[in-house]
This record gives sequence, structure tokens and C-alpha cells, in this order.
Amino acid sequence: MSVPQYRKAAALALVAGLGLSLTACSTKSDDASNEAGGKVTITVDCQPVGSQKELLQNWNDDVAEFQRQNPDIVIKSVSVGEQCNNPPDFTARLAGGTVTDVFYGYMTDLAQVLDSGQAMDITQYATKDTIPTWDSIDPALKEVFSDGGKLYAVPVKNYSMGLVYNKVLFQQAGLDVNNPPKTWPEVRAAAKKIAALGNGIAGYAEYSAGNTGGWHFTSLLYSQGGQVLTADGKKADFNNAMGKQVLQNLKDMRYGDNSMGSRQLLQWGDLLTNAAAGKVGMFIGAPDTTQAIVSQFQGKFQDWAMGPLPGQDGPAKATLGGGEGYFFKKGLTPEQVKAGLKWIAYQKLTPGKGQFDYVRSKPQNYPVGLPQPLLFANGSEAQKQELELRKANANVDTANFAIFEANPVPIKGEPRNAQAIYAVLDAAMSGVLTNPNANIDALLKTAEDKVNQLLAAES
Amino acid sequence: MTLTTLPGATRKPGRPPAPPGPLPTGLGRKVRDNLTGHAFLIGAVLCFVVFSWYPMIRGVVMSFQRTRRGETTWVGWDNYARIIDDPSFWTAWKNTFYFTVLALVLGYAVPFFVAILLNEFRHAKGYLRILVYLPVMLPPASALFLFKYYAYDPSEAGLFNAILKALHLPTSQWMQSPEMTMPAMVIASTWMNMGSAVLIYLAALQNIPGELYEAAELDGAGIWRRIRHVTIPQTRLILALLAMLQIVATMQLFIEPLILANGAGAQDSATSVAYLIYQHGFFQNDLNGAAALGVIMLVVLAGFSAVYVRLTAKQD
Amino acid sequence: MAQDSGTRTLISHAQLRRGRGKVIYWTLLAVVVVVFTLVFLGPLYWMVTGALKSGQEIAQTPPTLFPKDPQPQNYVDAWHNLDLAKLLFNTFYYAAGAVAFQLVFDTAAAYSLSKLRPVFGNAILGLMLTTLMIPAMVLIVPQYVTVIDLPILHLNLLDSPFAIWLPLVANAFNIFLLKRFFDSIPEDLMAAALMDGATPLRTLWSIILPMSRPILGVVSIFAVTAVWKDFLWPKLVMPHPETRTVSVGIYAFSGGTPMNVVVAASVIAAIPTVIVFLIFQRNIMSGLTTGSLKG
Repeated sequence: MSVPQYRKAAALALVAGLGLSLTACSTKSDDASNEAGGKVTITVDCQPVGSQKELLQNWNDDVAEFQRQNPDIVIKSVSVGEQCNNPPDFTARLAGGTVTDVFYGYMTDLAQVLDSGQAMDITQYATKDTIPTWDSIDPALKEVFSDGGKLYAVPVKNYSMGLVYNKVLFQQAGLDVNNPPKTWPEVRAAAKKIAALGNGIAGYAEYSAGNTGGWHFTSLLYSQGGQVLTADGKKADFNNAMGKQVLQNLKDMRYGDNSMGSRQLLQWGDLLTNAAAGKVGMFIGAPDTTQAIVSQFQGKFQDWAMGPLPGQDGPAKATLGGGEGYFFKKGLTPEQVKAGLKWIAYQKLTPGKGQFDYVRSKPQNYPVGLPQPLLFANGSEAQKQELELRKANANVDTANFAIFEANPVPIKGEPRNAQAIYAVLDAAMSGVLTNPNANIDALLKTAEDKVNQLLAAES
Repeated sequence: MTLTTLPGATRKPGRPPAPPGPLPTGLGRKVRDNLTGHAFLIGAVLCFVVFSWYPMIRGVVMSFQRTRRGETTWVGWDNYARIIDDPSFWTAWKNTFYFTVLALVLGYAVPFFVAILLNEFRHAKGYLRILVYLPVMLPPASALFLFKYYAYDPSEAGLFNAILKALHLPTSQWMQSPEMTMPAMVIASTWMNMGSAVLIYLAALQNIPGELYEAAELDGAGIWRRIRHVTIPQTRLILALLAMLQIVATMQLFIEPLILANGAGAQDSATSVAYLIYQHGFFQNDLNGAAALGVIMLVVLAGFSAVYVRLTAKQD
Repeated sequence: MAQDSGTRTLISHAQLRRGRGKVIYWTLLAVVVVVFTLVFLGPLYWMVTGALKSGQEIAQTPPTLFPKDPQPQNYVDAWHNLDLAKLLFNTFYYAAGAVAFQLVFDTAAAYSLSKLRPVFGNAILGLMLTTLMIPAMVLIVPQYVTVIDLPILHLNLLDSPFAIWLPLVANAFNIFLLKRFFDSIPEDLMAAALMDGATPLRTLWSIILPMSRPILGVVSIFAVTAVWKDFLWPKLVMPHPETRTVSVGIYAFSGGTPMNVVVAASVIAAIPTVIVFLIFQRNIMSGLTTGSLKG
């Protein structure tokens, strides 16, 4: 009698335990990092998503070709969404340790990545041997991904913002497409004319949600000559005449002229969707926003051109620059790190290959000729090669970006702890864009207090 | 091992069993004697231990710690001080309470009267009930995107504004107007969720003995008096229970601000406490602060429950 | 519930059949049917047809009632670009697993608590019930930290379905419902079975469970709705696009996808449950009301 009971009890206890042991198996299989049969396997994220059909195809082709050339390396691609670094998901991956072996991040993510203890020091591996073009890469970009003299990521993209504008709407509004506004008062005047076209068209559009509002506030502030944080990074530094001017410009356009459209609280995709639908005259952005408009939001490339970021009464004092890179997860074997570097070198840092394969991109619905990604140092060999290839294969009128390129504005990086600060600044942006009676002083004061608290809590 | 390990089974049925005869000494013995009973329990208990009881303690512990670069240190009340000093803290509580109150007015009273109405109909009952419950079956994100993109579009192309305009009423900026943010979220949330409450009320209404209404009618009570003196007292328990559940649910307001307002909304008018927990934990790399905020939320809700228990106890 | 036409409600039948009462009744019924249809079906109609409109048409003032130039492509794009098949499969998989886990572990636990008198049974039940008072949001951070590094075992459950299934087993409400139901089963039956030499497992399997079908149905419905409606937890513990649930997946893609495609995806995501609901609505609704009233 008691024997079968024992057995049943044991069986039940087993079932209870099974749940846990099963998961052990299921999570183990994730880190398929073992070199089975002499092969090195690495997982890499930021594979394009399904809606980016051609980009995805290119990526997969690159993987196949790379593996053909390096038969001992296996690349496992992982797609993590349209925006490869969506802050909460990125944080979750870092906290949970589920980042891929080689993982994508923004330049501003270095502190958070280091905090999480997930990043590996790759200083000794990143050399000419693994990345042939390593010495041509702009040293400033390497510096951004370094901490205490140690390198933690390889830069793969670098951008700066300018004024993106819709040529068709410019023409319809009687504006000169070859002479985009150079100052904020000029932007305001142009926006007013474009909005007068009616049909729900916004002359100028701006973000105010999902941290993108704060991101653009920063860029607008830089154009005024301001900075988000003091030089020592300990205090907020935007509650001043420059910060007020930024918000005043927006308020004047939004409610003074009613030239920013009725739909606000926009975040990244919202604005680009409107832009692709021909409802936005101007906005600030990096050159590749036009690419997103075309490849993801069904817009037309020839409609768009770009000028430098406007300043208050002359050229912008500075513009926001940023970039992306690939980190390496702690605990990888040297072989894996080298394999990862080789892959990045092939796909991201070789003129004529991967992201620089302009011959392939040319016939695709993917622009060639953008003044981006600006990875290589001025005068370096790689830069010359890349430039020649780009010119030879350009499928967009490089004239569209000529004004932007001919008028370089000094580039400034993002502040420390950028995402948390951007979240705070969103409220200031949404304040002027959704409240006709917004008190700019009060908005900036509140934001300043919040940022100071945030910084105090950090230290 | 004795013949059976089931205490009470051999005793007189129908009565709660007394502890089995002469007590075997020691806990281990008791467990061994009733191996099946404990084996049956162990799976669920383990899940409670790991995913409920332990996290409860861990939440409190975490709220007094700080983790930086993989190192955890005790920081006393620092996390609480930081969280409470955050100007968003009070905004979030204000917004959350406002939502809770509005949701009580709309999301609590409306389903009750809808249920009373539906209970009176002798026709089309099934159809109406399905209609009311249909939105509950939508994935929450689906329903909210419908509201965000189509209903609350601030231009006159939006569904609600088009209707208002057709009726010659003033249109609204909906989610872009700080004054409308909360009402708009309550409307969406009530539409999405009221089906369950209506069904529960309907069931409760059907349990009211018809004689009570008859007696009230004989006393000359009109419809409103009958509702006040029969319907409400008869459903009081379920009304009170749902009120409590609703408060607990609305205090956790999260997905509505996230989707409808892209997070914080116009001038922070949508920031909720739950959203703040999420912001701290997953945007600002501050899980310890988020844990502290969670503990504060627990204390506030415990206060609510205490008041609730007090009030319901008094009425009995 | 359906044959309750005999019971007296707020207003008597007689009153509704008399002249004025009859007119009011039918007018009110007509108004309510029309209003409810508009309020509850209207938005769904708007959603289905709106997703067929072009980006230009949706921004048009005043909005059009029917799509002028239907764009079924929006639905096709939604299906392919968001990989909805995968998202829906994931959601069903998690829901099915949640049902299985809750039925097995919660039923066993409730049975044990109700009939097998384990040591500290009441204390354990009490501790379980206290968790009812603790809102999910309060525990989200420590639970998340626990799931990414399980105590003692040091497993990481992120992106594993167990991160959804196991925490759902810790559901005091279900255990309470089941225990109350088992309590109402007379001890005589148990005793008789034991006389015949049946083990507790056998008793559970061949006597208790067949009697408990309605309550098991209720628990299953709760389990499915919990998975279906939950958002933040799956968003946190299933960050990988391959493992997302449908709600989380649509949200994740909404930032970089045209508005109408997002709504088209929302429509597709809603179809399976709406169909299931329409087929089983009688069972679901009676189950829900009895279940929740018992609690």
C-alpha cells in the first residue's frame, strides 16, 4: 500500500521539479557559444526587421557571404526591433544578461552598459589584424566608446543633425528649394508659408514624447550655443536665455502661427509617418531619417533635401551628433571576440562591402549618396575609397545634401545619462506644444530641478 | 507507514476531522505520514515561494540597497528620499488618484446601471450581453491603438471630433490636452473593461429574490426607491468587493498612459505611479528606486484596504 | 440565466405589458440596442474599415464612412512585417501552458488543502491569500530580478515560457476557488473511495475532477484571459522579438510602422479571441459569473 504511494509522491515531486529543470535546458541552449567541430559561433543583434525588406535581404546575404569566406565562423543573427536600442528593452536585456554576444548600443549607452557589468574590454583585440580599416576610423569615435583607456565597443555609425525639408512642399509654398532656412526666424517664416497650404500640413514638426522630445530639445539647444549639462556634468545648464529661446521658437510656431500641425506628442515613428505622407514641411534629423521615410514609411526619396541645422541669428553654433556601435558581451572566448570583430569589419567597416556596398544598394529603394555614416577620419585611405564609391553609385541627387555637407556645423555629443534626461525634457517640449498658455520659465525650472535631482541621485 | 495516510478518511464522514489519534512526534514524521498530501501541495507552494513570497521580501530589501557596477551596498532610506524628491512623484500620485476617482465614477457606476437595465429586458438579452463583453476579448494593445489613432485624433479627422463637430459641439484635443488626458483614458479603459463588471452585476441581480421587489411595490415604492432600498442593499457585498478590486486595479494604471499618451503625456498629465516604476526601473537604470516606489505603493494600498475593511465591517 | 423570464425583477412583467409600460419598454429597448451597437460595435467597425484606408484618406476631414479606395495591402503588410503568425502562436502557446500548469498545480494544491490536511495547511492558505492584497505592480521589480536569476538555481528565465507559466501558478484566487469547490464535495464520497482502496490521486482523478468540470473551466478561462490581457510582465520577461506576445509585439512595432498597418495588426490580433468568444460565449459568460460570484 505504502509503496505505490511513495512512488506517486515521488512522481509528483518530480513533476514539480521538472518545470524548473526544463527551463535549465531551455536557457542553456541560448548561449550556443561552444566551438562544435572547430567552428566559432557568435550571436549578433540588430538584424533588420521584416518590414525593412531590402535591408534584411542585404544583411542575410552578407552573413552568407561572410560565412563562405570564413568557414569556421557561424553568425547567428537576432532582430531586436525597428529601433535596435529601445531603452526599456535594452535595459531589460542588459539587466537580464540576454544581450547577444555582439550587441548594438548607442554611444550614450556606455555608462549603462558598464554599470550592468555586461561589456568586455576589447582593447587588445581591436587592431588592424581583425579590422583592416581600424586605423582609418575617426579616433574621436573610438574615444566615445572608451572608459579609462579601455575600449568597449566598435563604432559603426556616426551622424549629426540638420534641417530636413520636403522640396515638393517648398515649391508649392513658393519657397526656394535650393536655399533652405538658415536661422530659426527663417524657419518660422517658411513654416508659416507651408502650413498655409492647408490640408493638415505642418510647416515644421517636432517630437515631444518617448524621450525623443528631449533628444531634439538637446539638438535645438546646441544650435543656440547651449549645453544640457555644465562642463563637470553635475548640474543642468539649460534653464537660461538659450533654453528659453528654443521653447519660445516652438511656441511661436505652434500657437503664434499655428504652423506645426494639430497632432503633437509625436515620437520617432509618428513624425516620420506624417512626413512620408507629405504632411510635414521641415523637421530636424540626421540624413538617414530620409532613408527611414523611404524604406519604412513609403515616402519618396526625391522629395527630400537637407540643409545644416539653423541657428538663432546665423549658422547653428553646434549640432547634436551621435552614433552607434557594437559591444561585446563579457565572457566571450578570444576566438569569439575575433570572429565578432571580423564580422563587424566586414559588414560595417569595409568600403564596398556590407553597409558600404553601394553597388548593391544603388538599384534598391535605399539611398546612396547620404553624407553618412562619417566613420572614417578625414584624409584617411578608407574615407577616400568610400567617398569615391559613394559618388560613383549615388542614386540620390547628392545635390540634395550638398548644402548640408558644404556647411558643416561643429558636432557635440549627447549628455551623460541621456535617456533619463530626455524623459524629463519631454515634458518641457510637450508643454509648449500642447498648451497655448504654457509658461516657458516654469517648464524649464521644473525640468532643471528634475535633472539636478537625477544627477544628484546618480553620484 | 500505516495503512492510510489520510487523516479523517476513516472517521465519521461529514465532520471536520480531529487531528489524527495519538500525535506522532516531530514535523518530519507528520510530513512523512501524509506524503501524498504534501506532494500535491509542493508544486504550487514552490511557485508561491519563488515568485510571490520571496519577491515580496526581496522588494523591501532592494529598496534599501543600491547596485552600481555589479556591487550592491546598503543605502538606508536614500532610495526613498530620491524617489520622493523627484517632482514627478507627486504628479504621478495626483494623476493616479484622479484616474482612480474618475474611474470609480464612470467605470464603476456605469456598469451597475447597465446591468440593471439589461436585467429588465426580456428581449435581445444575449445580443446585448455579447456586445458589452466583446471589447474585453480584444488584446488591450489592440483596443488602445484604436483609440489612440482613430478616436482621439486631435484633428477633425478623428472619430470623436468628427462626431462632436457633426453635433455642433466643441471639439477636443483629447490626449494632447492635459485636462482631457485622464477623462480620455478613463473612457477608453471603461470601454475596454466594463464587460466583466456588467456580467458580475447581472449574476448578482439575478440572485435578488423577486418577492422583495413585490413587497416594495406594494408599499408604493417607485423605481428609484426600489433600486435604493432593494437592489443596492441586496448587491452590497458584491458592490463593495468590486469597488475594492477596481481601486486596486486602477491604482496600477500603466498600459493606457503607455500607449495612448506615449508615456508621460502632455505636460506629464498621464504619468502614473506604475509608469514611474517602469521609468525608474527600465529607463533610468534604477531598479532600487523602482523597488522603493513599489513598497510605497503597497503601503498606500494597504491603507486603502484597512479603510475598506473598517467601513465594510461597520456596515455589517 | 436564460430561462429566468419567470423571476420577478425590478419592474414587474405585468407593468411592462400594460399600455404605457409597453411603449416605454419597447422604445427603451430599441434605443439601448441601437446605442449599444454603436458604442460597442461602432469602434470595431471603424477599426476594421479604417485599417483599409490609405494614409491620406485617414487624415481626411471629415472622415469617410467607407474606405473609398480599400487597401487590403495594409493587412498583408501587417501580417508579414509584424510576423503576426509567430506572435499569435506565442500567445496561444503561453496561454495553453498557463492553463496546463494552473490546472495541474493549483488543482493539486487545492485538493491537498481541502481534503488531505497537510501540516500548516491553514497557515499556507492564509499566506497564499495575503498575496491577493498585493498588486502586481508592487512586485514587478523584485519578481523581474528573481526571474532573471532564480535563487539557488541561478537560472535565467528571460525569454523562456516558464517565466510566464510559473508565476501564474502562484495564483491564490484560483486555489481559493478550487478549494471552496472541493470543500463542498461531501466527505462520504472520499471515504467510500478510500474504503475501496483508492489512493488520493485516484480519488482526485476519478471522483473529484469529473465533478469539478465547471470550476476547472472557470480556472482555465481565467488563465487564458490573464495571459491574453497581461502586458507589462510579458513585455519585460519576453524581450526577444521571437518570444513576444501579440500585444507586446504590436506595441513594439508601433513606433516604426505606419499607423494604418498598426491598426490592421490590431484587428488581426483580435480576430482569434473574438471568434473563440462568439463560439463559446454561453459557457464563458456563465462560467465567469458563477466563478467570480463564488469567490
